[in-house]
Amino acid sequence: MSFTIARTLDEALAALAAGARPIAGGTDLVVGARHGKAPLPADLVAIDRIPGLAEVTVTAAGITIGAAVSHHTLEGHPLIASTYSALADGSALVGSPATRHVGTLGGNIMNASPAMDTGAGLTVLGAEVELRAQAGSRRVTLADLWTAPGRTSARPDELCVAVHVPTPAPRSGSAYLRLEYRRAMEIAVVGAAAAVTLAPDGSVAAVRVALSAVAPTILSLGGLETLAGGSVNDVAAAVAAAASQQATPISDVRATDHYRRHTVGVMARRAVAAAARRAAGETIAIPVNRSIGIGAAS
Amino acid sequence: MTVTETPRFVRADGPDKVTGSGRYTADLSLTGMLTAKFKYAGVAHGRITKLDTSAAKAIPGVFAVLTQADVPNVRFGPFVQDRTLFADGVVRFEAEIVAAVAAIDAATAQRAVDAIVVEYELLPVVNDAEAALAPDAPLVHPDWSSYGAARPMVRNRNDASFASIAKGDVEAGMAQADHVVRSRYVADGCHAAPIEPRAIVAQWEGDKVTIWSSTQVPFDARAGVCETLELPANRVRIIVPHLGGGFGGKCGFHQEAHVAALARAARRPVRLVFSRREEFLAPDKRREGITYEFETGVRNDGTITARRVKMVLDNGAYTSDAGFFSQIGAMHGLGPYRIPNLLAEAHLVYTNHQPSGSVRAPTAPQSCWALESHTDEVARAIGIDPVEFRRRNAVDTGAEGPSGQLYGEIGVQQCIAEAARLAGYGQTLPADEAIGLAIGWWPSFSVPSGAYVKIDGDGSGQIITGAQECGTGSVMTLRQLAADEVGLRAEDFQLVYQDTSVAPYDMGATGSQTLFNNGRAVVAAAAQVAEQLRQLAANRLEADPADIVLADGRAHVAGTPDRSVTIAKLAAIAAGGELLIGHGSGAPPEAPALVGSTCVGNVGMAAWVAPQFSCHAVRVKLDRDTGVVRVLHVAAAHDSGTIINPLAAEGQVQGAVIMGIGQALTEGTTYDDAGHQRNAALLEYKLQTCADVPPMAVHFVQINTPNAGPRGAKGLAEAPNVATAAAISNALAQLVGQPVRQLPMTAERVWNAMNATGAQGGAA
Repeated sequence: MSFTIARTLDEALAALAAGARPIAGGTDLVVGARHGKAPLPADLVAIDRIPGLAEVTVTAAGITIGAAVSHHTLEGHPLIASTYSALADGSALVGSPATRHVGTLGGNIMNASPAMDTGAGLTVLGAEVELRAQAGSRRVTLADLWTAPGRTSARPDELCVAVHVPTPAPRSGSAYLRLEYRRAMEIAVVGAAAAVTLAPDGSVAAVRVALSAVAPTILSLGGLETLAGGSVNDVAAAVAAAASQQATPISDVRATDHYRRHTVGVMARRAVAAAARRAAGETIAIPVNRSIGIGAAS
Repeated sequence: MTVTETPRFVRADGPDKVTGSGRYTADLSLTGMLTAKFKYAGVAHGRITKLDTSAAKAIPGVFAVLTQADVPNVRFGPFVQDRTLFADGVVRFEAEIVAAVAAIDAATAQRAVDAIVVEYELLPVVNDAEAALAPDAPLVHPDWSSYGAARPMVRNRNDASFASIAKGDVEAGMAQADHVVRSRYVADGCHAAPIEPRAIVAQWEGDKVTIWSSTQVPFDARAGVCETLELPANRVRIIVPHLGGGFGGKCGFHQEAHVAALARAARRPVRLVFSRREEFLAPDKRREGITYEFETGVRNDGTITARRVKMVLDNGAYTSDAGFFSQIGAMHGLGPYRIPNLLAEAHLVYTNHQPSGSVRAPTAPQSCWALESHTDEVARAIGIDPVEFRRRNAVDTGAEGPSGQLYGEIGVQQCIAEAARLAGYGQTLPADEAIGLAIGWWPSFSVPSGAYVKIDGDGSGQIITGAQECGTGSVMTLRQLAADEVGLRAEDFQLVYQDTSVAPYDMGATGSQTLFNNGRAVVAAAAQVAEQLRQLAANRLEADPADIVLADGRAHVAGTPDRSVTIAKLAAIAAGGELLIGHGSGAPPEAPALVGSTCVGNVGMAAWVAPQFSCHAVRVKLDRDTGVVRVLHVAAAHDSGTIINPLAAEGQVQGAVIMGIGQALTEGTTYDDAGHQRNAALLEYKLQTCADVPPMAVHFVQINTPNAGPRGAKGLAEAPNVATAAAISNALAQLVGQPVRQLPMTAERVWNAMNATGAQGGAA
């Protein structure tokens, strides 16, 4: 049993190569171990103090978010809030203020829960994950990364070091909503993210939608290309129907599959509507869950 | 005596709790202390065919492994003696304790628990209390008739406690009605869910044991240890460090004897600390699930002519302190209404679920929810506004309650008026919002209690009380009562409490009784000291003791404030002679008489001393697409008699309302077919969070209550938990088009109810 605090990325990668597992905020790993989900790994390497891993960098292609960036940073980051809003919406819903201060984006992604709050937003924003090992690094799409609940295609010696998100097209907006039974310390019953690009005439030029907690992994909705050219309302209605149809939810203590199938359509419709409003230049405060609908103040 | 105006003082235990310097039971560490863990049944109903602890005992570092064979063969229980410390051949719920281990550390203790071999012949799981009443239902306790039980208990097979309240002629009353409204409601069980999971430390010295326990009722815990380990009371000392919440879940005798028995066998101190999962599964404390069948006859003029209610309460596997739930539940099934003809029948039925027990106002919130939802249905059936309907039919000063109790001065009508006013009842609201209103009630419990008060030579005071502080602030408020009696400030008193070997008996933090009864004891004890002070001052000031006024830290002659002496000076004089010591108990108020009713299974819960009344009015918003409900505002008006500490009282109401919102919308325990709780974790058992709490308006109707506690106080801790869920239901029913008939009214259940009426809304 060992606990190593890595001061450089190379130290961390060496520890991983030797069989250690990474820990940053520990909000999934430690809580999961306490609940008997999985025992704590024998050897841990802490990556939360590695220089540069907790930075948000603007690049020519978009932004690069270090794996150790906290949810708190994401929900309050002006560029992410304005341009990558679905990610900020999701980050602002994670756990409690305490969870968001220690929990990291990399941890949320690599935990690979289908109910994660950042995954659907990153998916519609077209994000890619950078995995690095001692031998070098590679980029994978999220669809290639998540293979099953709690499973990724990353090798044990690979560390998620960053998430790359491309700059959205002009007149684009995004949003993430979830169904929740309370306003903090909650997990998504179902969730939906949408990224909408509007044509100059206000019709929908492109729409992408991803769903959480209705499939073994974050589910990217297929067949939406045919919706291009439709009005926002028509697209939102078609997306709602597609979401309910393509979802393969389970029944558990939180909800029945029947109810999840219905409500994921509601979340998808609202996500498209909110994304379209943002694409049109309107500011809707982060997170959308607290700004519109039942979650609003009054 | 001088009564201080609206004291808003900082509670004595506040700084400890806020700064983290306060110590809770799990913080204690004793030299050589071992860790305790339990082997639980894991199955809801089974006969033990093999129990082998030899492998566990052989593990190095294991100091003791105990089963029922290792403790006195005592069957115990406050109402029905249906319980043993460890499983006695049969397990009847999933977290029944089969064996206990004490080991050098937690990992070793867990290995030992895992090494205990238990095999079962599975027995049919009794999952449904209504079905368990059938004549051919499997019995949870085949030997039920041989168990000892409190004398008034009416028992029959799985029916552990039957109670009925009958008055007038219910058939004739129904015949006089223009409408008869029938409703069925189902309330799921739920939990107290204190943030501190329970912890117990036991240490023996010779033949005496000291037990530190996170209990709400140290004297009850002591009695349980004495009964099950066959010890006299003066060899068992229970001390409660700071208690991290209870909400009733830490009432009753729990695992103190298990830990004491382990410590005795191991010859070492032993500490038990529950995990969150254990806190959900193992205590004999779950708010009982109840099914309700109502029938109310009403005339077109709004008069209720008759009511019939049948209730089936899920007792769980053992009766615990729930023996009185059938009778008090029947009272809540009838409600604070004037009804000439009525019949309530309530059955407390064994199942293979976790035992039910006193969670904050047992039977009341869910019964108020069901009855008040039904009441709105009745009002709508005759087209009368629900508030007006309650004004006409609720009890009032001088009226007769359902069990035949005649009320003195009570404030239920004022509560209705105030709650409606504070909520803005009748205002125009958006289409997805509504205001619902409900009335509730709860007794004050009149029981014995005792305290000592002393003032030392430096003029500083101490209150030595058997009362238990579970967070409500009631014990903290005792300082104010003593201080006013002797002319000192609350801050001049320190509290010595929560120790059974130091203070006289008190029932504990249960039944909202602390201020009501221990307040009386403290006032009586302080009055003795005050009398001593007046005598000393009279001698010194050459006046009649009857003319001495104690106020502001001084004793002076009435009408002549200049002729005075400090209480500190009098205390110094007393220190050289007869010491300033008072003791008090006082006679508990007597229970009122019942007129014209018949109460079967009468355990004394049909006549209420100083009954408390409340009305809550709640504004909610419904998301018609999902069934998610948001509470926007709560108005709570309470008649809890005189309010002695307004700050603490408001806090009690606010906390209880939050708990009520949780019980209304998100908190419910669900079981699988095998009798296992499906959501024994805080992620899946959804308490309300600070982020969910709506604005509230709290109003106290303070009237002169006859036959009450000190200064006319009633209880308070439980009453505000009664009417919130009901008010939410009545708001929601307006939006859904019908009541949501199962509690908690989860989003999915609301959505299902909307779809059932075709009332589902359009796009968001």
